[in-house]
Amino acid sequence: MSERIIRGRIDRSGLLVSADTPLLRLQQRAGSGLGKPLALPHLARLVALAQRLHRDISRPMYTADDHSDIHALVRIVPDADGANLEISDWRTGPTIHPQIPVIADSALTPQGWTWECDQQLRVVALRAASDAPAVPAGWEGRSLSELFELQPDEDGRFPVLRALGRQSRFDGQRVQADGPTGRVAMTLTGEPQFDAAGVFTGFRGSAGLAEPQAQAAPLPGAVLTDPAFGSLPLSDPQFGRRIDGALRGPLSRIIATAETISGQFDGPIRADYARYAGDIAHAGRHLLGLVDDLADLQNIERPGFKAAADEIDLGDLARRAVGLLGMKAEEKGIRIDAPRVDDKMPATGEFRRVLQVLLNLLGNAIRYSPENSQIWIRVDRADDRAMITVADQGQGIDADQQAVVFEKFERLGRTDSGGSGLGLYIARRLARAMEGDLTVESAPGQGARFTLSLPARD
Amino acid sequence: MRMSESFSSPGIDPPSPTLSARLRELAEYLAAPAAGRLTEEQRALSLGIARRLVTAVAARLDPAIDANALWADWLHGGVPGAERLVGHCFARAEEHRWREQSAHRNASPAPVHPGDATADAPAVDTALSDVDRAYLALQIADRRRFDALGNPALAVGDLDAELFRALLLDIAAWRLAEVSRDTDRAAQLGDAVRAVVSRQAEEPGIADAANAYHAILGDRVPQVAADAIARHNWPVLIALAAAAHRRSYGDMALSLLTAQAAALPSLLAPLQLDRTALAPLEASLAMLPSRAVADGGGGDQVDPKPSGRDGR
Repeated sequence: MSERIIRGRIDRSGLLVSADTPLLRLQQRAGSGLGKPLALPHLARLVALAQRLHRDISRPMYTADDHSDIHALVRIVPDADGANLEISDWRTGPTIHPQIPVIADSALTPQGWTWECDQQLRVVALRAASDAPAVPAGWEGRSLSELFELQPDEDGRFPVLRALGRQSRFDGQRVQADGPTGRVAMTLTGEPQFDAAGVFTGFRGSAGLAEPQAQAAPLPGAVLTDPAFGSLPLSDPQFGRRIDGALRGPLSRIIATAETISGQFDGPIRADYARYAGDIAHAGRHLLGLVDDLADLQNIERPGFKAAADEIDLGDLARRAVGLLGMKAEEKGIRIDAPRVDDKMPATGEFRRVLQVLLNLLGNAIRYSPENSQIWIRVDRADDRAMITVADQGQGIDADQQAVVFEKFERLGRTDSGGSGLGLYIARRLARAMEGDLTVESAPGQGARFTLSLPARD
Repeated sequence: MRMSESFSSPGIDPPSPTLSARLRELAEYLAAPAAGRLTEEQRALSLGIARRLVTAVAARLDPAIDANALWADWLHGGVPGAERLVGHCFARAEEHRWREQSAHRNASPAPVHPGDATADAPAVDTALSDVDRAYLALQIADRRRFDALGNPALAVGDLDAELFRALLLDIAAWRLAEVSRDTDRAAQLGDAVRAVVSRQAEEPGIADAANAYHAILGDRVPQVAADAIARHNWPVLIALAAAAHRRSYGDMALSLLTAQAAALPSLLAPLQLDRTALAPLEASLAMLPSRAVADGGGGDQVDPKPSGRDGR
């Protein structure tokens, strides 16, 4: 893996106006050059996406020339005059020509199925390998997501839907399907198909039987008897699994449907409706995260719970959090003043957990800030502590409330549907598990400043 | 004519089956030295297609049949009714080579520009139009002509009844030799042949799907055919041409694949395509190596006229 960053610049009209040598060489081999349109289709699509969303995106990039396939990670930073490209992890490998069959022998086990669908995910082929369970009857023309009940990944996303939006390959899509003796857990892998005009025509792939431990066991009695969070039996070892069974399934369906609508995979709809669906999917993923948190509470409350000690940059994490919640802030006209790209604050903490804390702090700030206000995120260092502060212009928290705001299920008398009252409790527990802390400074009418401190790193 | 007899001469021991086959091949070569020969790829594809067909038909007749043993026997002793099968297997193999070549060249997806995603998005599928439904059926029928790994195959539903019955009887005869001591099972075999033949007759094949699609397109046929050529969607082009000519799909495929460029306009005349629309088709066919072009210059030793069940 190369740590070198390859840079390029696209102007407003999509022309490549500057490029480091490897990128320029690739552009030239694709028959274009400097001052000409970007001739790398996948990269051009990503640039267009970033410009459409008006925000940074980081994605894997796949491209090729006559001699090799190239895989890299690309970060696209759009601005008013075009976009900057930062390409890292540039890896080349020998060209693999797509052939019929494109279903790699390794992808299909004798116990698996192969499938093919059109661009609307309607199944046009489904076949069983030699030792595989028989395919369900009446599959012809059915929707892939109907035939295979899609399960979200750890991030609450659906690889197949993401791949559909990007017209890229996917793997690890967990599904449930009808086998001859009942439901079977399978994992889908798929390759996008294109015709001679470069138009996406669907996916072709395989479905392998999932490992037994990966099968989602039906959960007996999965309905929660008391929906009030405060009375949940957190000490019950079955708690996590019960939460999982009761909420994960319905939430997954909400997210999958909302993502389908938001991505307009079934046809164009009004842009604001698509955005609403995107918000639903977003909220669904957030709720799914909450389910994880609830199930995770047991872990956090367990004596000796400890988070991983990753080498992190609080500035980078702040920008990621802004990237995730920026649209939510925009809807309220809230401006977020985040650390600049060169604003680094090395620290030690678990990457995922710190991001979780920051998302909680930023989400609260957006939720409780008035419209057209501002939120500041600042990184700082004091001795051996690296700190990040999220400050808003909300109504503030008085001294009494500050004393209880980190308590479990404390919502300061609020009754809206904005949160469970667990977020700050979990956030502080996580901060402390990472040998840090989470504190608040506020006064009524003067907004709130939440500061996460972690061990600093040189 | 058996080659072992033809080429046996005083002083030479009766030849082995291998030698016999080689001598037969040589005799055919000497009879037409200028004709193009099958490449290894063409042989392998056709053989694979034949094997998959035999395996599929055997499984329908009796799942207990050991298809591997059956094929091993036939490989050794020769495939019964080979003359009946060659046209179908060769047509399917050539069509596959053609499609594979296009797939090679279709690797690069077009860039998606802002707005394209919605502009090109297909219609909402809650109310699938009749045309879309017919196209979907055609796609499904086409994909039935592959095995689980995507290797080319002949769908049983696409076979004409006579060929299917003959193949069934050949397999039944082989099976009968295996179970001859079991009179009950031998009797069951006869019943099974009749039942399988009757089921196959009702099975829709690609010809039905092609005819339905062609019929429902009506005056949109030229536009859809031109689009199919531009996108290298050869199954759709073959299907529409076959339906327009009232010929079988395999027959039409082989006609296209063996046609000279100059013959394409007349061959596709019923589709009312203009000359420019044909350019990608001409180019694609021209690039396909070892094609058995019908000018006699590179013709292979097969009769390029498989008759499908829909041959009219």
